[in-house]
Amino acid sequence: MIPLLVLWAHVDQRRANATSLVAIIPIAIAAVPVYYFTKGSPQVDLRVALFLVIGSVVGAYLGARLLKSVPDRPLRYGVAALMLLVGVKQLVFP
Amino acid sequence: MTWMDVAAIVGGLFAGVLSGLVGIGGGQVFVPLLTIGFGASQIVAQGTSLAAIIPTAFVGGYTHVRHKTVDLEAAVWTGGGGVVGAVVGALLAVHVAGPLLARIFGALLITSSFLLFRRARSQPETP
Repeated sequence: MIPLLVLWAHVDQRRANATSLVAIIPIAIAAVPVYYFTKGSPQVDLRVALFLVIGSVVGAYLGARLLKSVPDRPLRYGVAALMLLVGVKQLVFP
Repeated sequence: MTWMDVAAIVGGLFAGVLSGLVGIGGGQVFVPLLTIGFGASQIVAQGTSLAAIIPTAFVGGYTHVRHKTVDLEAAVWTGGGGVVGAVVGALLAVHVAGPLLARIFGALLITSSFLLFRRARSQPETP
């Protein structure tokens, strides 16, 4: 989604990052029930999710504040690097 | 509360900061965190990370909206369009899944990262 926004819609990196986080809300809300209900047992660990959220909501607020002060160019390299890292991980250890 | 719960809070904090900074790219950190750190299966890790990203994205997204860094129109069309893809993708992940899907996704990410690197190099600094 970020490449889509940056490469085709020509949104700057900061806005692309922020926008993708808002856009994931309806997507995650639609996807979670599929993981929870369509297989024999729920494929969601609610207990772990709860504790992750306790940390991540604080983190998300801090990260979002931090985004304001990071210049666009390092941000672009950072996003590309993170994407490369996760991509290689997925490809090598799927 | 166990040590694993504490670890989840700390991991969540880290993944949350990344989510706030780089958007969904940060959310992707939840998945390896859960498979490597918590021994969750790939599917459970994805399902759990999607559940955890909802409140995270609400808080981060709200902060972004207040900072006026969100292109709301783009968020609506990517998010709205993404809903259809999300259901199809989630059904694929839950029922057919497997290493092939993860590898295809990985290849897609690597290709995107190269395009982004190229653009980061070619484009002058924007204010």
